[in-house]
Amino acid sequence: MKGVIFNLLEEAIVAEHGVAAWVDIMDLAGARGTYSSLGSYPDEELYAIVDHAAAGLALPVPDVLRWFGQGAIPRLAERYPTLFANHRGSRSFITSVNDVIHLEVRKLYAGAACPHFHFYDLADGRLAMAYQSRRQLCHLAHGFVLGTAAFFGDAIDVEHLACTSKGDALCRLALDWQ
Amino acid sequence: MKYERIPLSGKTEPRGTDLVDRLERQLEQERKARLEAEAIAERGLRELYESQVRLALLQRITDFANQSNSFAEVLDMALKEICLHMGWEFGNGIRVSDNGRVAAACDTWFASEPDRLFPFVEASRAIRVGVGDCLPGRVLRDHHPHWIDEIAAEDWLARRPQAVEAKLLSACAFPISIGDELVAVIEFFSSKPMIDKDAILLTITQSATQLGRVIERERARATLLHDALHDAMTGLPNRVLLDERCRSAFQRLSTGTARLAIMVIDLDGFKAINDKYGHHAGDALLVDVTGRFQAAINAFQQSHLQAGHATLARVGGDEFVILLDSIKDGSVAEKLATLLHDVLRPPTQVDNDQVTAGASIGIALSGPEYDDVEQIRRDADLAMYEAKASGSGHTVTFTDALGTEARNRMALERELREAIRDKQFLLFYQPIFALTEDQRLMGYEALIRWQHPTRGLLDPGAFIDAAEQSGLIVFIGDWVLRQGCTALASLHKRMVNKTPGCELPFVSINIAPQQFLQPSFAQQVQRVLIETGVPSDCLRLEVTEGVAIIDADRTRQVLEEIRAWGVRTSLDDFGTGYSSLSYLQNLPFDTLKIDRSFVASIEDPKSRNIIRAILDLANNLNLSVVAEGIESPEQGRVLVEMGCEFGQGFHLGVPLDEKSAFALIDQRRAA
Repeated sequence: MKGVIFNLLEEAIVAEHGVAAWVDIMDLAGARGTYSSLGSYPDEELYAIVDHAAAGLALPVPDVLRWFGQGAIPRLAERYPTLFANHRGSRSFITSVNDVIHLEVRKLYAGAACPHFHFYDLADGRLAMAYQSRRQLCHLAHGFVLGTAAFFGDAIDVEHLACTSKGDALCRLALDWQ
Repeated sequence: MKYERIPLSGKTEPRGTDLVDRLERQLEQERKARLEAEAIAERGLRELYESQVRLALLQRITDFANQSNSFAEVLDMALKEICLHMGWEFGNGIRVSDNGRVAAACDTWFASEPDRLFPFVEASRAIRVGVGDCLPGRVLRDHHPHWIDEIAAEDWLARRPQAVEAKLLSACAFPISIGDELVAVIEFFSSKPMIDKDAILLTITQSATQLGRVIERERARATLLHDALHDAMTGLPNRVLLDERCRSAFQRLSTGTARLAIMVIDLDGFKAINDKYGHHAGDALLVDVTGRFQAAINAFQQSHLQAGHATLARVGGDEFVILLDSIKDGSVAEKLATLLHDVLRPPTQVDNDQVTAGASIGIALSGPEYDDVEQIRRDADLAMYEAKASGSGHTVTFTDALGTEARNRMALERELREAIRDKQFLLFYQPIFALTEDQRLMGYEALIRWQHPTRGLLDPGAFIDAAEQSGLIVFIGDWVLRQGCTALASLHKRMVNKTPGCELPFVSINIAPQQFLQPSFAQQVQRVLIETGVPSDCLRLEVTEGVAIIDADRTRQVLEEIRAWGVRTSLDDFGTGYSSLSYLQNLPFDTLKIDRSFVASIEDPKSRNIIRAILDLANNLNLSVVAEGIESPEQGRVLVEMGCEFGQGFHLGVPLDEKSAFALIDQRRAA
């Protein structure tokens, strides 16, 4: 996992719960606590942090991930304004994630293992977003979608149609722009 | 300057909340420093990545450009690579023509979604614009890149409706140049904004440089190819290209009813002009002739719809060939030949002189008898030589008869060379008598025979023409002169030994015009006389008026020179040909020989009148006369009655080999 994700998580927790909360979580999770956006760190370290944050905040893991994803978007926009500059709405930003956002990620970090999102139209007009998620990270994606909607001033209803945590082959989210 | 010390709290250790505040500030500073460092590093990584990708793209284009010789192929690849690299929807290639006045799409384009972009692709793939028009025209006008940020706002763009329909937002176009010359334009269209113009400019300018090099190589190759296939002086196709065109024209023959003609054109008198005025004059003449031929061919093709396709080539110094391809009617070539003779008639200005170069033209037409075009070429060549032999300004079309004749002549020439080498010639001698009662044997005419290895003994009629045409007559003539004199010398020696102080016979030797006009002819005669010891007044040289026709002045000089030594001269075959009296007036002859044709028809009063006139003329000019071809006693009697002094012929004595002929004089003298 790229260090920037750890940075964003740290910023979100510190902003909402203070420095002490982050330090406590680090101690409890046995995490190193120092992350650079230039580095890559084991995925397990992120999962441990999320698990302990959930325990500490008395929230389910999916809720923590969603909350984190939502709050990460404006911070990302602050760090990487060019990623958002060419988009006028959340739909174009979200659908370009494979070709634009992840391309940018690979520019910075050669060999970064970005997930691939598959978009397709559902019969009811909603946009389906399918991907092979690990450890319920579909909720992180859910949060990113909500954060993006908020950033562009849109509103999106998100429904989890399928999830690997329930034994499905893929996670599938249905996105409905209001 | 003095500094005041600023009080710092460093000496006293902070405690409690002060310490926490300070540490928090420090931490925040550290965090900011880290973020800044990360941002700097990320910017560097990003730039590095982009430049690597750009270099990889340029490397691909460069590699491909180096491997390929086709601009279209490289352009196709580059448009695709650039569009994919930039995420653009459409790229289009445009060639510049008409000296930079026109930009025309060359149907080389890339579209990411051809189906969706179809109307726009159709509007772009064959676009043809002038300077300043549409996007390529603006590049053509300004020789620098052009950008469009919002297509919908640019009403001057001819393809705006189709572009807007295809949801295209932005565009750019770049020049491809070789030196200062704009040779092509590439244009790109995208549905997204083109933001990083510096990076785009860098990438495409370098790609354009590679594309320009391909065009440059294409041109260099075309120039090399052109130079290898064309004559540098006249710009006409050379022998190599002509061969190629001839071969492909011949191959096409099998598929249709059309024919081809090959015309071989040789300029007459070109060498003389070159020798007299120098090579620059000869070159100028060739260029002038080329222009006339080209104009004539163009005019001919416009006025003769059946004229087919013509290739005019220069294949040698003054030799041109025209390949007439796809003609329906064989007579077309002869008509064109007439026109070519016509256009050569007006003189060309060379230095301060005006010169005229005629041409000899040989034509050969394709037919089922030909297996390859080379045979047609050879036959056209042969026809040209035939035309040249009939004098300047002639055209000869090859026929089978001509071919047979020429082949026979060539074979004969070959055999003649062998005959000279192997000494297959021998001399017969025909006695010449005084037409008096005692028919005194005055001398002999030496007559050549050829002891041919397979055909037996041949008369001169079978080979002299070929010997003259091949120039071999000079060698043969020299041999006759020397052999005749050698034989006569031995006869003289024998006679003098037998009867000292006796009257010695002469030998009369025929000299061909070519031999006579050799610069060294007089010296050759002198040398033979000295070496054989024949008294000069026992040598008679017979020439025809042909020599005088070729060069009267020189003929007179040579005759005067050899007569000064005492050698006698005869004008042979008198009465035939021109028989110009001015020759008799100006040329120093001793004897006239009445042609055998008058003697043969001596019963005809007309012939008798002519003989009488010749005899009167000779008498008045103080020339002796020998009548040739006396074949009957009656002919001899009439000639005697008319006062002819000397004669020869079968009736008096047939030509005999040396031994028999010379035995005759012993018998006569003994009698």
